Amino acid sequence: MKLREYEAKNVIKAAGIPVPAGFLIRTPDELTPHFDALGDAFVLKAQVDVGGRGKAGGILMADRATGTKVAKELFAKQIKGLPVKEVLAEQKLAIQHEYYLSITVDRSSQQPLILFTEAGGVEIEITAKEHPELIRKVVANPLMKDLPPFLIRELLGNAPKEIGPVINKLYKVFIEKDALLAEINPLVATPGGIFAADAKIIVDDNALGRQGITVNRDLSEREREAEKYGFSYVELDGKIGVIGNGAGLTMATLDLIEYYGGKAANFLDVGGGAESDRVKNAVRLVASVPSVKVIVVNLLGGITKCDEVAKGIIAAEIPQKVIVRLAGTNEAEGRRLLTEKGYEMLDTMDLVVKKAVEVTA
Amino acid sequence: MIYGDKKTGVLVQGATGKQGEFHIGLMNEYARQVGGRGVVAGVTPGKGGQQVHGVPVYNTVKDAMKEHDIGAAVIFVPAGAAADAIMEEANAGIDTIVCITEHIPVQDTMKAVAYARMEGASVIGPNCPGLLSPGEVKMGIMPSALFTRGHVGVISRSGTLTYEVVDELTRAGIGQSTVVGIGGDPVIGQTFVDVMQRFEKDPETKAVVLIGEVGGNLEEEGATCTDLPIVSYIAGVSAPPDKRMGHAGAIVEGGEGDAKSKIARLKKHGVPVASRVSEIPEMVRELFRCGC
Repeated sequence: MKLREYEAKNVIKAAGIPVPAGFLIRTPDELTPHFDALGDAFVLKAQVDVGGRGKAGGILMADRATGTKVAKELFAKQIKGLPVKEVLAEQKLAIQHEYYLSITVDRSSQQPLILFTEAGGVEIEITAKEHPELIRKVVANPLMKDLPPFLIRELLGNAPKEIGPVINKLYKVFIEKDALLAEINPLVATPGGIFAADAKIIVDDNALGRQGITVNRDLSEREREAEKYGFSYVELDGKIGVIGNGAGLTMATLDLIEYYGGKAANFLDVGGGAESDRVKNAVRLVASVPSVKVIVVNLLGGITKCDEVAKGIIAAEIPQKVIVRLAGTNEAEGRRLLTEKGYEMLDTMDLVVKKAVEVTA
Repeated sequence: MIYGDKKTGVLVQGATGKQGEFHIGLMNEYARQVGGRGVVAGVTPGKGGQQVHGVPVYNTVKDAMKEHDIGAAVIFVPAGAAADAIMEEANAGIDTIVCITEHIPVQDTMKAVAYARMEGASVIGPNCPGLLSPGEVKMGIMPSALFTRGHVGVISRSGTLTYEVVDELTRAGIGQSTVVGIGGDPVIGQTFVDVMQRFEKDPETKAVVLIGEVGGNLEEEGATCTDLPIVSYIAGVSAPPDKRMGHAGAIVEGGEGDAKSKIARLKKHGVPVASRVSEIPEMVRELFRCGC
């Protein structure tokens, strides 16, 4: 789950990384008591869970005279369709230089990967493409609690030495907060020292519990309901509902729908153990999406009991057509139950997907 | 054969849990069919002295190692205890560690994989179905009825999709040497490259089917590190661009982590890519026909 900017900044501030003086406000009036601390010029930043908020008008400059008016303007906005409920008011920094620093999980080496460049700022992705040599990369042994100084020297090159402790502190945040990503962009040099002008932290969904996070904000309401049942679920915008077991097989079913010219309404992986109740809940969940016209059920597993799955599909009692491909034990009994109730059961995933695409065409 | 054969004694960590008990039964049923040793010991802290399907259970891996000749371990413990289980087995000197457990925090997996590497152990998974060498050994949860012995190796990031591919191969009369599910998590122990290098040294394996997914570039690394003929399939062509991992993901992958550019890169290296699973058997036959 992605932390909001102010949450990420609180985390890195607690770890000893300097951040600009800032205050979270929930109404324009809450700004007034902070005028003295914010100084002459400051920045108002909408705390919304979308990327690219700057370009979408979510970051505004203000000063003491205009502050309340600008804050009202920002709270009245929708940023990429999301209302602005929280605003971070932050001291404006006298930026001399922008650096980029991030730590992420490197799939190739199975270790934390630290990236640093003296060419930080909003154009970082263009820099990465056109001048990859400007970005220095090192991997760290995850068993070490601190980055060894030689790795920090390799990253810094001729950049100011004061950045060294910031790198090690962010590394500790990355490990201790179960982060998949910890990023500071830009990390800025000012006459008053080094500051993290923006911060992004993504917490591993598998570690939310031990990080004390009870609700995963990144999920939609239906996705959260799916999570309760132990399903992995993603909403898409087609008409064909999809239920599979295993992420790979379900994804391959979606790909096959696209191959035959159709569009999937969702991705739903029921996970292991397709008992009738689980299947019933999955079918009902997918059927509750208004755009779903037909549902493809593609379940394969040596130990999946097909009669159980069939009972679940029948018990769901949904209005949409359900086309089923089942392979496992008790296949004959499953087929008998389904055909008796008028459901279609076909032998391969190619056949069920083709049929579903025909139905929605 | 890679990672193990009939003579490999297997240990199950989490033996007395529901999953552990169920799969000890299935693994040993397979061992009886093929005349292998199968699961010879189980471990659950505090349950030493019990038996599961006639298999003795010990409190620690080291206790089990004193009594049995063990070459591999399969882990079924809950996510919070799995990294510790990997490290306990590596420390006790087990060579091959298969971790079935899913939902392990990545920071834990990174530490356990780094530790196992220091101890010289190979970790398969986590979040994987394990491996199966038809006629020899099953370490994990793959449904053995779908498999048949032969000369095609299979490496896959997925579980059920692997069964689908194996089923297609078997129906087409193409047998498998060893099928390895390496797991779908961001951090895994054995990668496509590691398994491919084992297949290269395995006289039973004449060709490899590589089943990948969107994200990262491990598939390309695996496909280009070998002279073995390969057929590949990449799941996730229709997947919407993933929740972006900040800028770091884009920088690492050069903005090309999606399935389409992955497929393009594989093709550029001369690796055939199936657009549907059902095309795979015919493409494998084509490899053997042209003798490449």
